[in-house]
Amino acid sequence: MKDSRRSRLFLGLLLAAALVLITVDHRSENTPVFGPMRTIVTSAFGAVERGVSTVTEPIGGFVGAVAGAQGSRAQINNLKTQNAKLQGELSSQRIDKRRSAELQAMLGLSGLGGYKVVPAQVVARRAAPGFEDAVEIDAGTADGIKPDMTVLNGEGLVGRVVSATASTATVVLLCDPASSAGARLEGTGELGVASGLGANGGSGRRIMFRLLDSTAPLPVGTRLVSFGSQQGVPYVAGVPIGTIEKVEATPGELTRTAYAKPFADLSSVDVVGVVVEGPKRDPRDALLPPAPKPAAKPAAKPAAKPKPAVPALPGQQAPPQVARPSQSPAPGDTAPGNDAPENTPATEQGRDGQTSIPGDEAA
Amino acid sequence: MPRILITTLLVLTALVLQVTVVNRLPVSVVPDFVLLVVIALAAIRGPVAGATIGFFAGLGADLLPPVDHALGQHALVLCLVGFAAGRWAERRPLLTVAVCAAGGPALALAVAGLLGDPGVDLRTFEVAWPMAAFVNLLAAPVVVWAVLKVYGPRPEKATAAAVPGWRRA
Repeated sequence: MKDSRRSRLFLGLLLAAALVLITVDHRSENTPVFGPMRTIVTSAFGAVERGVSTVTEPIGGFVGAVAGAQGSRAQINNLKTQNAKLQGELSSQRIDKRRSAELQAMLGLSGLGGYKVVPAQVVARRAAPGFEDAVEIDAGTADGIKPDMTVLNGEGLVGRVVSATASTATVVLLCDPASSAGARLEGTGELGVASGLGANGGSGRRIMFRLLDSTAPLPVGTRLVSFGSQQGVPYVAGVPIGTIEKVEATPGELTRTAYAKPFADLSSVDVVGVVVEGPKRDPRDALLPPAPKPAAKPAAKPAAKPKPAVPALPGQQAPPQVARPSQSPAPGDTAPGNDAPENTPATEQGRDGQTSIPGDEAA
Repeated sequence: MPRILITTLLVLTALVLQVTVVNRLPVSVVPDFVLLVVIALAAIRGPVAGATIGFFAGLGADLLPPVDHALGQHALVLCLVGFAAGRWAERRPLLTVAVCAAGGPALALAVAGLLGDPGVDLRTFEVAWPMAAFVNLLAAPVVVWAVLKVYGPRPEKATAAAVPGWRRA
């Protein structure tokens, strides 16, 4: 009883004190009586709280992780799959973009030359030492491809078709030792033969050029275009081939031997075009990329804009004619092939290049 | 006959992956996985089976587009390699696999030269063979390991015990 009474008294006192504090604090809103005390205590507690929570946060996190492990693992898996999917999409978009650029360059080149091309994509390649350098493309006789047709990409000559099935065709590359193409020097028009070197040429990094007239000048850096055979079989005229890199001294021989770097990167061909119909007139040097300003710098720009280096002949501004029949079974694999907007910018580039040249009003 | 199925599947996979993926990598020299798979299979199965596997794998390689060489050129090379790998793999497995992996491209070049392929001469050999042999040697352990994994432990031990000394004859 005694205890109880004392404790009641104590409780009452404390309640009274609390009420007093409440009253005082409430009444003295504008004249802070407890202000400083409150600040000190708050900051002290705050510091302690921060310290403690720093220490205990990992524990809490651990407990939380253990408690929510199942859910978070599922979430991590979700995020991972999502991430992988997005990354895949990103890289495939990058590849699509590159292919679209290659296709545009190719269409620009073929439009400039007035070739009628069938776009195609490389699906397989053979490159064992002692065997041919050949690729398989995803267009065949159903698309109008026949053996002995010229194959090019945005940079230049790639090779020729050797056989074709309904939906695929085999293309022997320019760097295959068994393939040779008639070539013509830029400007002077001297004739020669460009032939592949196989493994000797570093797998397509170099081809050999034999100049038939051994007295004609053959400076390093001269560009080659295809000479073209009768009715464009197997090579149509005017396709850029490469740049002379090295001239061999062969005194007393009937021909002069030089080595050229092909414009097309033959070790990684992807989007190509098969010329199903040659130009009405030989485009001569008009398809060569712009001449490099310093003499020692070969045209190494990827997807160089086809721009005539010398005044172009009139009548070459035919838009690129893409001959892909609509009954083609799989439009998805070379999707941008038939899209008109895809090839218009390339054509515009080509036209811009030509209109900058005086003497073109005739066209 | 699940072994025949597994063998066929392995060889076909190697053939298709070689032309569609490996050869299209933007590098100038790539390992020849068909050759390596044939070597590994022959090393497990012995000379006769190795030669047969090599022959048919080579025939597949000759038929698989893109192709512009005489039919049977690959078959000849891989048949010889398969036989050699099967013949000596039991005594000196590591050395045999290495020699076959490095010698395969050399044999292919020699056959191509003998058949009169244009552009294959001694200089081609000097340029092309060392790199091809090197990448084959690099890839050989991986392929042999993978084939062993798919094929399981060497099944020939039971055969050799059942028919003592038939391989040494």
